[in-house]
Formats: sequence, C-alpha cells, structure tokens
Amino acid sequence: MKKIDLHIHTVPGISDSDFVFCLDAFKRYVSEARLDAVAVTNHNIFDGAQFRTIKETLGIPVFPGMEVDLERGHLLIISDGLKLEDFDSRAKLVSQKIAKIGDTISVEDLKKIFGDLKSYLIIPHYDKEPSITGQTIAKINPYVSAGEVDSAKKFIRAIKDNAKLTPVLFSDIRISNDLVDLPTRQTFIDCGDLTIDAIKSCLRDKAKVSLSEKDGNRLWQIFPDGQKLSTGLNILLGERSTGKTYTLNKISNTVGNVKYIKQFSLVQQDEDAEREFKDDVQRKRSNFVDEYLSGLKNILDSIMPVDLAANDRQVEEYLVTLLKSAEDADRRDAFSKTALFDEVEFPAGQTHTLCELIGSVRQVIENIEYKEIIEKHLVPESLKRLICELIELLWDKALENKKKKFVNELVKDIKRHLNLRTSAVQVKDVDLYKVSMDIKRVERFTEIVNFLKREAVVFEENIQGFRVEAKKEPFAGPGEVKEVSHVRTAFSDAFKKYEDPYKYLRALLSNESLTRSELYKFFVKIGYRILNKDGFEVSGGERSEFRLLQEIMDAQNYDVLLIDEPESSFDNLFLKSDVNQILKEISESMPVVVVTHNSTVGASVGANYLLFASKNQQDGKVVYRIFSGYPTDKNLFSVDGKSISSHGIVMDSLEAGVDAYDSRRQGYEAIKHYK
Amino acid sequence: MKLLSITNNLGFYLCETGQYKPVDKITKEDLLRLVNLTLREDIELDAYDENVIKNQAHQIVYKSVFEKLRGLKDRKKEFVDESERLYLKEYEKYREDSKKA
Repeated sequence: MKKIDLHIHTVPGISDSDFVFCLDAFKRYVSEARLDAVAVTNHNIFDGAQFRTIKETLGIPVFPGMEVDLERGHLLIISDGLKLEDFDSRAKLVSQKIAKIGDTISVEDLKKIFGDLKSYLIIPHYDKEPSITGQTIAKINPYVSAGEVDSAKKFIRAIKDNAKLTPVLFSDIRISNDLVDLPTRQTFIDCGDLTIDAIKSCLRDKAKVSLSEKDGNRLWQIFPDGQKLSTGLNILLGERSTGKTYTLNKISNTVGNVKYIKQFSLVQQDEDAEREFKDDVQRKRSNFVDEYLSGLKNILDSIMPVDLAANDRQVEEYLVTLLKSAEDADRRDAFSKTALFDEVEFPAGQTHTLCELIGSVRQVIENIEYKEIIEKHLVPESLKRLICELIELLWDKALENKKKKFVNELVKDIKRHLNLRTSAVQVKDVDLYKVSMDIKRVERFTEIVNFLKREAVVFEENIQGFRVEAKKEPFAGPGEVKEVSHVRTAFSDAFKKYEDPYKYLRALLSNESLTRSELYKFFVKIGYRILNKDGFEVSGGERSEFRLLQEIMDAQNYDVLLIDEPESSFDNLFLKSDVNQILKEISESMPVVVVTHNSTVGASVGANYLLFASKNQQDGKVVYRIFSGYPTDKNLFSVDGKSISSHGIVMDSLEAGVDAYDSRRQGYEAIKHYK
Repeated sequence: MKLLSITNNLGFYLCETGQYKPVDKITKEDLLRLVNLTLREDIELDAYDENVIKNQAHQIVYKSVFEKLRGLKDRKKEFVDESERLYLKEYEKYREDSKKA
C-alpha cells in the first residue's frame, strides 16, 4: 500500500492567511508521516521554481498541481509533471483569471486552459467545503477520478455508497515555518509505481483505496505518532489520571467537528438547567408548532385588517348622510345634481374561487402518483381544455375587475371635486357586502380559536422509550403569554379580553411592541411534557437519560462522537438496554470513542477497537502511553512497540481485577442458588 | 368613434343609443361602457378646455373623465396584458398539449 497526500499548500493564495513556506517542514512531514507521493496544490497559483526545489529535495514522487476556484466549489487538477513548462504556462492563465478574492472560472474556461482534462488527475471537493455539486459536478464528471472528503466518517460513507465517487482524504495543509502538529489525513492506495496514470487507475476502484495500511477501512490514523482508531466503536479504558480525558480532548482538537459529551454534563443541577432543558425540547420541535398553527396564522392574516368598529361607523355615516340628502333634495345645485354626485362604486369582484378551481384542475392534470386512476375516469386532453377555458374565464374576470377598479377611481375623483363645490350633503358610500362578510369572518374566527383552546394532545414523538407530548390548552394568565412572546411588554390589559378572540386580537394589535406575524402564538398555549415508558412525567434522572439519547442522536451531524464516562450519570440497566444499543447503531456510520470504567458499557457493548491509557514512571519521568488493538487480540500494542495483555487490562479496568471478578461471580452464583 | 365631445360650451358623452348626453348625467355604468370602448375601438375625445366649457359642474366631470380615458387609451395594451398574464405559462402549455390529441 502507498500513502499519498495530494492536497498540500506551499504558497499563500489571495484568499489564504499569510504563511512562510519551509522546505525542512515539508521534509519532516514526508519522512514522519512516511508518505510515498505528494502533490503541490496552491490556490490558483503554480510556482515553478519552488516546485523544482521541492521535487529535488523530497526524494519521492512530487506532482505539480493546483487548487482551482471553480464557479461553485474547489477542484484539484494535478499533472504528471512530464511537461512542467507547459503546465506552468497553463497555470499562469488561471492565475490571470483569478486575480482577486471572489474571482472564479467556469468548467468551460478550465477546458480551454488545460485542453484535454483526461490527461490530468481531477479531484473536486466532494464532501468538503466549498464542495462542487449539481450541474458543475455533472460537467466535470467524465474527467474525475475521485472526490475529496474531510473526515474519516465521510470517507466511510462514500466508500459504502455505490452511487458516490471514490473518496480521498488529504491534509490540505500549509507547509509553514511554524508547523508543529503534522496532519493525519492521508489516503492509502494499492498501487505499484506511483505515476498519475497508475494513481488514476487505482482511484477508479474503491477496493484499492483505504484509510489505513493494513486494516483497510476499519482503522484510521488519528494522531501523528501513528495512533489509530476504529472507524466504528472504540472503547478507551484506563485508571484514573492516565490521560483518558486528555486523549478525548486531543481527538477533539485534531478532528474539529466532534460531538463531545463530557462527564456529568447531562446531569440536571438547578432550575436554570431545568428551564434550558425545556427550551431545548421545545426548540427542537418548534417546526411542529409552526406547522400546527399555520392554519391560524393564515386566518389571522385575513382577520387583522377587519375593523368592525370602523365598519359600524361607515354604516352610521351612510345612514346620516342619506337622510340629510333626502331632506336637502329641494335645495340641489348644478354640482349635486350631476348623476355621479351620489354614485356608489362597483363592488370588487372576487376571482378567488376560480383561481382555486384552476389550481385543483392543475393538480389533477399533474398528479403522478394517482395518474392511472385519474386517467381511467378522465381524458387528459379534456382536462387540459377545461383548464384553458377556466383560465380564459379568469382573464375576462380579471380584466373586468380591472376596468371596474378604474371606473371606481374615476367616480371617486369626480365626487371629491363636486363635493368641494357644493353645499349639498353627499351620501357616503358603504359596501354592505363587505360589512356583512366581515361580521361572518369574525364569527368564524371566534369559533375556530375557541376550538383551538380546547385541551388536547396534538403531537407525540417516541424516542427510545420516552414519549414527548405536546398539549394545547388555553393560556392561564398574561404571564404565560408574555413567556411565549419573549417581548418585554405587559399583556394584562389585552388578556382581560382573552375570552373574546376578536377583541383580544384588537388589543394585541394596538400594542406596538408586538410583531404582527408573531401574534398567532398568543391564542393557545402549547406545552411539552416528556413521559417515561409508564406514562408518567420523567424524573430528574430520567431527564438526563433522555438528554443523553438526544445528544447521541444529534451526533449524526458531526465527524466523531466522544463520550466521557457515561456511567457517571446513569444506572447499568439504562446503559445496557438503551445506550449500548444506540452507540452500536451510530458507530455503524461514524467513529465513536467511549471512555469508561464500567463493565456494562466496556464489556457488553461489542466494541470494534480497544484502547488502554496508561501512566508509568520511566527513568524518573512520567510517560503516558496508549495501547490499542482489536478486542479479540491477545495483546494490545503502543505506537512505540510496547505490549500489554488484553485480558489483564479488561479485568483491571472493568472488573477491578481478576480476583475481585472471581469473587463477585461466586457471590452472584451463591445468590442465584440460595433457597 | 368620438366618446366625448364639446358642443355649445357644454360637455357630452356618447350614450348607448348612439346619441350624446350631457356629462352631468353620466353614471358609473356609462363610464364602464366608455372604458370598454376605449380598450376595444379606435376612439376620439374632444380635448378638455376650461375656456370652452362654461358650466362648472360640466368642467369637473368632463375634465376628470377626459383625462382618465386619454390615459387609458395610451396604455390600453398594457392594461389588457396584465390580466392575461395570469396562469399564462400553464395556459400555453396545456393549450398546446390539448391540441395534440
């Protein structure tokens, strides 16, 4: 197997932070990481002179390349280096086009500059930001040999998925004069001579690519000293103060994107933690609440403009002016005698129902799922003719409405002018249709809100034996509304009208510190409860269990899951029945490291890899070591070649030694047989 | 076709019967009809001139109707197009599809 790293920076690009290249650091990296081939891939730059020096110094195949900013995402283009001058001159064209931050080139530009892309090794950022996706990946697909990822988890995911490109994990390192920690992200390929053609041919076969030299994709290197971890479930054992937590922190720093559940972090301590927990449960389900109340939100949008008091005033004005005008009938002048003086407007025509009908017919035409049944009863062409006719009708109606609106404006304008010139009373217009409709709207709104206020469970979710329940009920007081609003304002006056939803709404609308789009949250209270398997609200301890399971499930979004001594907060039954199972499941798709002293976790979980942290005195100095191996290995080994018996450390760490284990076992036997 | 005319210092509009009536008798239904004619036909309007129309009530009504109809005449294509843009994409697609049958 050959170890390669084909993504290395030696010159800072325009969008990079500055660094000073150091050839010795490059030599140290190649030698300590035991690399067999590297590529120099700077951002949109190729420094020919520097490349030659590097190539002459390193003594392994070094390929010239470049990391190019494509329109969407980055891409590595690597040459065999046989015609260095030629590559250099093409690379300069890229540098010219990408001269400032934000500049990019298209796939077409790339082809124009480099000619036949098939003669290069092309590796796009794949499961790594900024990644190349969609149309761009489709355009370069014929030339691509592999896709770059940035973690072991993503590497495994791509390896397992036949639809995905062969993954490669490279360091993406800046070789600077202050380089201290060497990277551990490299890829092994089963390749003879390391030429670009041979590498390309290997990369096309996923079976020839792996994360480790001897253990395929079961292990991956985590620390520069060669320490490996399983890509599945790792158990880290060891006595107190042997560096277990230190090791977890180090993994966390190396990988970056980790889910780290620290010791005791899930145990509830005070009221603040309790509130935080509730908020957390609520926040994770806020989408549900929004969706549940979306109906009310829509209704509110149409109810908010309804002003019944203003409508009443309009009707009143209409009647008063009508009577007055009748009284003054004899005293009319030239202005008030015009026909338009008392003209009322055309009522606004609605096209809502027709639009909905068109939408429904369109759904019938475009539905794929039930196409067969639909076509058994209806001829698609006649449906299409129907929709065309409906649309034509809509156009007519829309045009008609527009004309009426035009005339209404004209009438209004003329009436205003006439009114200025006469002493006669103009009859005020009122749209009685709208006034009556508004009353109906408010009645319906009141009915709906009252339904909504009735107590009921509206949402249930089962999580590993727990049940999260959302219940709707009326708010008990203004304080509860305030809590939901997150606004510093008083609700006590508005709340006096809570029983009458419309009056309550008007009161809320008069409060300027409230956002209109948020008002839908203030009509009904949605409270959450977490119930245990017996249907009772969870205790403090059960709450912690629930949180642990939630945290572990949340780990899907990270590259590694680290858990420090879960047993410190939980009992054995819970650990065995729930935690072990979920850890095993999640470790199928990502690396997990659990520090434990507990035999229920350590011995029963079915780990893929065992690590043992130790602290020894050696020549008067304290030496920390990690021994590791498969659980079935007789001995575990450290990276400096020392070994230790697996059985011994498992007994010592999890069972407090062989003697204690034997005596405990005898004790259990005795209880079992006691009569 | 002349929709608005000025005769004997008074403003007139074309009513349904084809005769001209004084503008102080115009109703909203009449206006709607004039709008339809403006959008459909090639129409003429006598330009408003306050020195010619002496009756002040006529001045008010004529001026406003004249200005509005003149504006509409200039923008009639846009006026009609706007309503026909509704669902236009679907309309064209389905109209073509239904022709195939």
